[in-house]
Amino acid sequence: MLIIKEVHQQNCLLTYQGPITVNLVSFLGNYIKTFIDYDNKVLVRLFKIYIELTQNVSYYSDETMQVKNGVNCGVGWFTLQEFEDSFRITTGNRILKTDAAKLTGYCEEINGLKEEELRELKRKTRAQAMVRDVGAHIGLIQTSLTSGCKLDFSIESINKVHSFFTISTKVFKQ
Amino acid sequence: MESLVINEVKGSPYYPGVHFNAETGICEMHGESYMEETYKFYEPLITWINEYIKLKKPLAVNFKLTYFNTNSSRLILDILDIVRKYKDSGGAVSVNWYYDKKDPDMIEEVEDFILESGMKINLISY
Repeated sequence: MLIIKEVHQQNCLLTYQGPITVNLVSFLGNYIKTFIDYDNKVLVRLFKIYIELTQNVSYYSDETMQVKNGVNCGVGWFTLQEFEDSFRITTGNRILKTDAAKLTGYCEEINGLKEEELRELKRKTRAQAMVRDVGAHIGLIQTSLTSGCKLDFSIESINKVHSFFTISTKVFKQ
Repeated sequence: MESLVINEVKGSPYYPGVHFNAETGICEMHGESYMEETYKFYEPLITWINEYIKLKKPLAVNFKLTYFNTNSSRLILDILDIVRKYKDSGGAVSVNWYYDKKDPDMIEEVEDFILESGMKINLISY
């Protein structure tokens, strides 16, 4: 796995790298809600984005690890940073190169839409989603809606088969 | 028919509490919902509601969820679709959504559910 880049460690409040289980997501989500000293409305949004992005890593990372009770979960990393005017959440995980175009398409589509158009896309995507696996798309739409900001993303080649997907967004403090 | 009760567990707050009362028809979900394999949690709830409406009794669904992820929202939409169909067939149904005024986005979430399901949902702040 690629290590967290130095840039992501600036102003870092929280960072993690490894298998992302639901218990870990819950534990660190509780930290965000209770230990960060800031306006509750901002923390609610941070928590929602944190859950969607980390669960996307947990469900869809191409790198997986077997944890307790034989459960397989995705491996990746996330960081939470604080800046003067905003908080930023970033996640990273390995993907198959064959999925890169699809993910790029999702993010570019989301970044090209206004709020009402995004809500419409969310409704349409949810209505078509399978019950057993709604897919990563709707989580990315929800992340953009909640943050009110564009998705910053990059896909870097690792080898012939794999790339590394990094996605980031922020929540303004006001 | 028996009531369905799933109590919240302190160590796993990603499961909501569920109290579906077969006597009164009052069905309540509260807490947070972002568990893995979401459908495994929601399928028994959906089965219970489908069985209950066969009794042709009044149904009141009270959502008191403070957070649900997008996977859960897909299953909540299924519940709302079932409830709306029951209402359309003449069933006595009400759906209430209780939300925290401090949550900046919950009203929009519920508005989207109303648009998608066609079910009227009463928004109640606390």
